[in-house]
Amino acid sequence: MLDLLANGLVNIAQWKYLLPLFAGTFIGVIGGALPGVTITMTVIVVLPFTYGLDPLAGLAAMTGVYVGGSTGGLIAACLLGIPGSPASIATTFDGFPMARNGEPGRAIWLGVWASVWGGLLGALFLVFLTGPLAAIALEFGPWEYFSLFVLAMAMVAGLTEASLLKGLLSTAIGLLITVVGHDPIGSVPRFTFGSEFVGGGFPFLPVLIGVFAFAQIMTDLEKLNGPRGQPVPSLVGVKLERFSHLGVNLEIFKRPFLLAWSTIVGLIIGILPAIGGSASSVMAYDQARKFSKTPERFGKGHPEGIIASEASNNANVSGSLMTIMAFGIPGDAVTAVMLGAMTIHGIQSGPLFISQNPDIAYGIYAAYILAHPCMLLICIALMPLMLRVTSVRMAVLAPVVLVLCVVGAYALNNTMQSVYVLLLFGVIGYVLVKLGFPLAPLILGLILGDQIEINLVRAIMTDPSPWLFLTRPISGGLLVAAALSVALAIWQHLRHQKRVAEEEPDF
Amino acid sequence: MSIGRDGIAGLVLLAISLVLLVKSFQLPSLPIVPVGPGFYPAIVLSFMAVASALLVLQDILKRAPVTVEAGELPRRNYRLVVIAFAIVGLYVMLLPLLGFRLATVLFVGLLQVALGQPRTIRQSIVLAAIALGTAMASYFVFERYLLVLLPRGAWTGF
Repeated sequence: MLDLLANGLVNIAQWKYLLPLFAGTFIGVIGGALPGVTITMTVIVVLPFTYGLDPLAGLAAMTGVYVGGSTGGLIAACLLGIPGSPASIATTFDGFPMARNGEPGRAIWLGVWASVWGGLLGALFLVFLTGPLAAIALEFGPWEYFSLFVLAMAMVAGLTEASLLKGLLSTAIGLLITVVGHDPIGSVPRFTFGSEFVGGGFPFLPVLIGVFAFAQIMTDLEKLNGPRGQPVPSLVGVKLERFSHLGVNLEIFKRPFLLAWSTIVGLIIGILPAIGGSASSVMAYDQARKFSKTPERFGKGHPEGIIASEASNNANVSGSLMTIMAFGIPGDAVTAVMLGAMTIHGIQSGPLFISQNPDIAYGIYAAYILAHPCMLLICIALMPLMLRVTSVRMAVLAPVVLVLCVVGAYALNNTMQSVYVLLLFGVIGYVLVKLGFPLAPLILGLILGDQIEINLVRAIMTDPSPWLFLTRPISGGLLVAAALSVALAIWQHLRHQKRVAEEEPDF
Repeated sequence: MSIGRDGIAGLVLLAISLVLLVKSFQLPSLPIVPVGPGFYPAIVLSFMAVASALLVLQDILKRAPVTVEAGELPRRNYRLVVIAFAIVGLYVMLLPLLGFRLATVLFVGLLQVALGQPRTIRQSIVLAAIALGTAMASYFVFERYLLVLLPRGAWTGF
């Protein structure tokens, strides 16, 4: 395995891969640093650039975006007090106070170094655990896959901040979108109403780009009240104080348990389908405060808060990559776009992915590992630029991002059809967000829809007894877990009957 | 008894799921497969119908004490969103007619103006530069280096 990894590293070290990786990481850091631009949106923007590249180069660029974005968010978190991307949400709790106390350099670099170490520690798990996980997945029959997907959807719907019902409905809408068009077994057209537009079904990526990018950008535009947007009280343009990288690293390594535990929390959240960086950052922060000897210092610029949040959100990336490589299910929206990109290049994800495409699998591992030193180099060399980038206005960003979304949809198969789908689902996504429907379950439904149907029909074709879903031990266990997670969500919702005022949607 | 936003959303989803559910029963069955193409959609749609009915019910039962402090929420600029969607719609319409390069210059320029009117000559120049720059840079990168073809204009041939 290590020789395969070494090969992967040597392979990625070629210019044709290193350049996209570096560029992706750079764009990721910038996209992460821009408040209002999430990692998902950055990866969507990068997507059309990868169409013309070879598959590994494209995936390396996207992995770079993912790693860079997970770190970039902390710059806005420390300087503006608002996360540059949702993954850095908990970094603001201590990063901004520390920066305001006159230590912006310490705050930012603690975050950057914690990201590097958390990410690299996560890489160990990624390299050594993905294979065994895939081996478990290989034992799965259609019953187990069906139940696994049901569990994934139940968990995601249950985890949403809004109502459980809306989470479930959102999942159903996602599943329904995949049903439109020809059925996967006999190619019978379904719900097309004789229209050519929907005849082929809705292509996955334009729907995903439409739902995510539009819902996000339009929600950002709502907040542009004044003619030039609201000025934010911030530390943008601040000069970093003198500090030592060695000192910052010592601060991190003086707390090995914190680093390890935050990494593991991030990793586990990453492995769970469709919950991403923001959950891992908040959960690791929470855990850090619980285990800390000085919990009272949290929220006032405590280094432990920054380390926990940033180590976990980068480890989350490795967890998401594990899920996609072992099971073929995306761990979150970013990996969903990566999965879409793989499909364009004809690569089938799933438990056989690693054994069938070892070059690409180990290439992704290598890209993930190398993205960390790339990210560090970019941060060291370009920090003054990063400190300014957070102030770029939405009026400039929005049109450019939307153009790239349109290109991403159009270039999929060079037809305007995909662009119309993009626009249609842009409107639908925005309306759903405004009605308080979470988007993560919809996306998961959209991603898993076809697979659920295929596995369900395959199971019934093998043996028509529906009880097998419950009596086969793994499948039954997964379904029980799904029922439990819905029950748990109902119980939690009953406990906190809190009013959900207008909340920020989590992208 | 009044019905709120959730209730209306639930009713719309319920109507959609019921109409499609009827449609799914009309789908033909296949001789070799034990379940027809309507089997799975029917499950999804039944689930959706039940969930949306519950959402309507929940909304009706929970209506009474909903008082959102409108003053505390940031004022939201929905007019801008409608304008932005309209401009994107126009862009998508013009893309195949004017071609990528012209339509993109127009789109980026127009949307920037809609989001923040330039007040000085310098701001106008920056705005125009961003519009031109975005169109040209994306065209060159995609068509020249990445071999991704972009729409040509039916009217302009450009």
